[in-house]
Amino acid sequence: MDNTAVTYKMKKTFGKSLLYTLPMFIITFMFITGGKPDFSDPSTALAMSITFLGVNVLYFLMHYTGKTDRFRAVLFIVFAMSLSFTLISNMLETRDAMSFSRADMLECKIPFCHLVIPMMIIPAAFTRSIIFPGSIIGGFADISSMVILWLAATLVLGRGFCSWGCFYGGWEDGFSRFRKKPVIKRISESWKWMPFAVLIMVALTAALTLVPTYCDWICPFKAVTEFEQVTGVASAAKAGIFISLFGGLVVILPVMTKKRTQCSFLCPLGPINSVSNKVTPFAIKIDKKSCTECMKCVDTCPLFALTPEGIKAGSVSIFCSKCGKCVDACTRNAIHFGIKGVPSGTMKNFSRNLFLFVSFLFIAVFSSGAIINSLQSLLKLIF
Amino acid sequence: MKKFKITAGIVWAFMCLILIIILFPGLNSFSSSASRLSFMRINPNYSGGEIARKYITENCTVEVHKPVYDGLLKERKRGFVQVDWRGNLPETLIDTIDYNLDNSPDFILQIDRTNSETELNPMSQKVKDVRISMPVSYGWAVRINLEK
Repeated sequence: MDNTAVTYKMKKTFGKSLLYTLPMFIITFMFITGGKPDFSDPSTALAMSITFLGVNVLYFLMHYTGKTDRFRAVLFIVFAMSLSFTLISNMLETRDAMSFSRADMLECKIPFCHLVIPMMIIPAAFTRSIIFPGSIIGGFADISSMVILWLAATLVLGRGFCSWGCFYGGWEDGFSRFRKKPVIKRISESWKWMPFAVLIMVALTAALTLVPTYCDWICPFKAVTEFEQVTGVASAAKAGIFISLFGGLVVILPVMTKKRTQCSFLCPLGPINSVSNKVTPFAIKIDKKSCTECMKCVDTCPLFALTPEGIKAGSVSIFCSKCGKCVDACTRNAIHFGIKGVPSGTMKNFSRNLFLFVSFLFIAVFSSGAIINSLQSLLKLIF
Repeated sequence: MKKFKITAGIVWAFMCLILIIILFPGLNSFSSSASRLSFMRINPNYSGGEIARKYITENCTVEVHKPVYDGLLKERKRGFVQVDWRGNLPETLIDTIDYNLDNSPDFILQIDRTNSETELNPMSQKVKDVRISMPVSYGWAVRINLEK
């Protein structure tokens, strides 16, 4: 069989790709500009235009080349960097520091992020309250909006949230692409159950202490967002842990292994998103008739979701984040985006088009605010 | 059955598509509805709890919160009470606080805002020490440790 012929089945002609991009173009235009583009401030207009065109070019290329992960990753990485940039520049502007003070906590001014969710469930059930010093509604990253966004994304994408919505994942996704080949090739797969242990530990400690313990003591992304002001031994130890975990699990190990090690071994939200993979309509499927069991997909999967046994059985585990890396790597198009209920090997194009539209629309709109803000700041620095 | 599964899968996928399309334009409305859920309030350990008494002095408003002993299943033995001063604050704040509203003073606070020195004079055995005393955007906030 001619492999290249099969490889580019997902590839579309220029005209067809444009046609597929048109709905995304219109919807992102409405969402990014609010339907009324404002050209009064040149830097805002330029930042908005670059973002709008950028996301649509990426979406067009996904259709035109038939590759998914390559272009998803660009937006995903830019999103992660932009969010950190926006957050840090905002803090430096308003507080002259990257850290928040106890006064900010007293006034419940801390931005909320989805990683708090696993810790707030038990206390919310028992105390009917949220154990986080943030704002319920209004202001930057309020609790209600973030919970709604995460809930919707998780329902629709399942663990796909980790590759199409999480504004931290882009950091290690980026670092995992630094080297062509991994230095560390063999990692025990049993490590992928570690986040379940972390989830149980942080959920219980948070329930007992009514403190979001993961955010308080473990979260590596504090290193690129904001952390408690260092005022004593405890806060210095926390800062040390944040930086060490960021360096180890988000930078060094992803570079060495080409895997997303923080997502695979630490993140307590991962297990919840993994379980939600059972609900979402979209899945990665294996067409057993086309599969030669070359195991390229297993090697390339950044989240240990594919195993040789799984491939032989034609199943993908709940750890899959639908990043599309395995789909891009498969020369026979045997592993593909699918819809639950639809037999594997059928409706491949339809399933991919529908999944791409839904997932890309989410990340495009979700990331646009942060990207526009960062571009604006950069433009102001340059001009 | 196979056809039903295919149809159900595709219908569910299209419903998800609609959900994502309406998510962002409707986010304000969705989050406003979510914020009205009974558990959508900040835990008193962070917010300081409900305001139990508010009184106006010459320059500012003093707000005494309800004491907070919140635990997961039952109240804890140790807790705190938060007192806020809002408005145009003088350099030294001196106030007598009755946190349990029994009409007898529980402690006297004296705060020198210039050097952040806070002096606590407990008048009840339940009042322990100062947990936090610091300037905030609206004035000054103090948390006093209590024991039941």
